[in-house]
Amino acid sequence: MSAAKRVQQWATFARTWHIFDCKWQDPYLSANVIKKYLMGMHKPIYHPMNDCGDVVVCINSRDIALRGDDWRQRAYFHHTGYPGGASWTLAWEVHNKDPTMIIKKAVYRSMKGNLQRRHTMQRMLIYPGEEVPEDIMQNVTNQIRQLRPVPTRLDHIPEDEVKKYPKVMEYPEDYVLK
Amino acid sequence: MSFLTRANCLAKNVILSTFVRSISTTKHLQLKELHERKEGSTLIVEGVTVPSPHTELLIRAEKIKDLAPVEKTEHTCYMCALDLDVKHTDVLILSQFVRTDGCMLPRRITGLCRRQQKKVGKMVSMAQKAGLMINLTPSYCKKDPRQRYAYKKFNTYFDENTIFMKKIPKPVDKFKR
Ligand SMILES: [Zn+2]
Repeated sequence: MSAAKRVQQWATFARTWHIFDCKWQDPYLSANVIKKYLMGMHKPIYHPMNDCGDVVVCINSRDIALRGDDWRQRAYFHHTGYPGGASWTLAWEVHNKDPTMIIKKAVYRSMKGNLQRRHTMQRMLIYPGEEVPEDIMQNVTNQIRQLRPVPTRLDHIPEDEVKKYPKVMEYPEDYVLK
Repeated sequence: MSFLTRANCLAKNVILSTFVRSISTTKHLQLKELHERKEGSTLIVEGVTVPSPHTELLIRAEKIKDLAPVEKTEHTCYMCALDLDVKHTDVLILSQFVRTDGCMLPRRITGLCRRQQKKVGKMVSMAQKAGLMINLTPSYCKKDPRQRYAYKKFNTYFDENTIFMKKIPKPVDKFKR
């Protein structure tokens, strides 16, 4: 076996560590992407009985973006098991309590409910901010591409660049600038 | 005929001094900016004529040779002729259609057709809700999207396809018959 083939063999069977930046990403859409890396579905050797899943580190889970009015429309259900123990919590209330819970539940929901799911979820690490412990960061070798580009705020663009940008609208001649 | 009515008007102006209406044949109105300054105890408000900041960088479809000429010229405005794919995140374009307090300009000033005015107006409010034009807000605004109340402080994105949707389907609608 040549050296290149041997490295390919190691790379196939090793657990790769991926990083995913959740800034301005829809958790329900990115869950379908993260799921594939967690279960190892991006590998040609994938099989449900084959333990070939990778580790995914999600950062900036506090800055996820939900579509439209989802923050106040989406409700998360919980039941304590006692009579009258049902509760519905809105997405923004869940995110206030725990900024990692929405992305975690989204990935958990996107996978099929079998015995393997809990173990697959153990391979997903979520951090609300940029800070990741050093011993985890040194394992990371790959970055998962973001689904949506992060939008730029107008006040973060330099002022002369805003002035130099090509204009579409022209004021009428008798307009008083406000 | 028009000359006669104009003469009548002028005559009225002479007789009824309370109703003052100035008529001129040339353009005497210009783009102005209001300036307030204090001299001693008097406040002076004056309208200063300024050149338009948009004129030099203006882009029009007539001037671009590669764009195919549009057949129905009487039904298109400049945005339809340009045929741009504007998203609500394109704040450099959307900020041209708003006042300094972030309010959308009316159609008589923007010069858009009805459909484009609706589309641009909705995208301006989308950008404001997403907190992308936070420097173009009223003076009482806190200028930080994270300081907002309850669900408004978290990041939100929008789908431009929902602008001309009659009814936006909810996730539960697909189970209904
Ligand atoms: Zn138009």
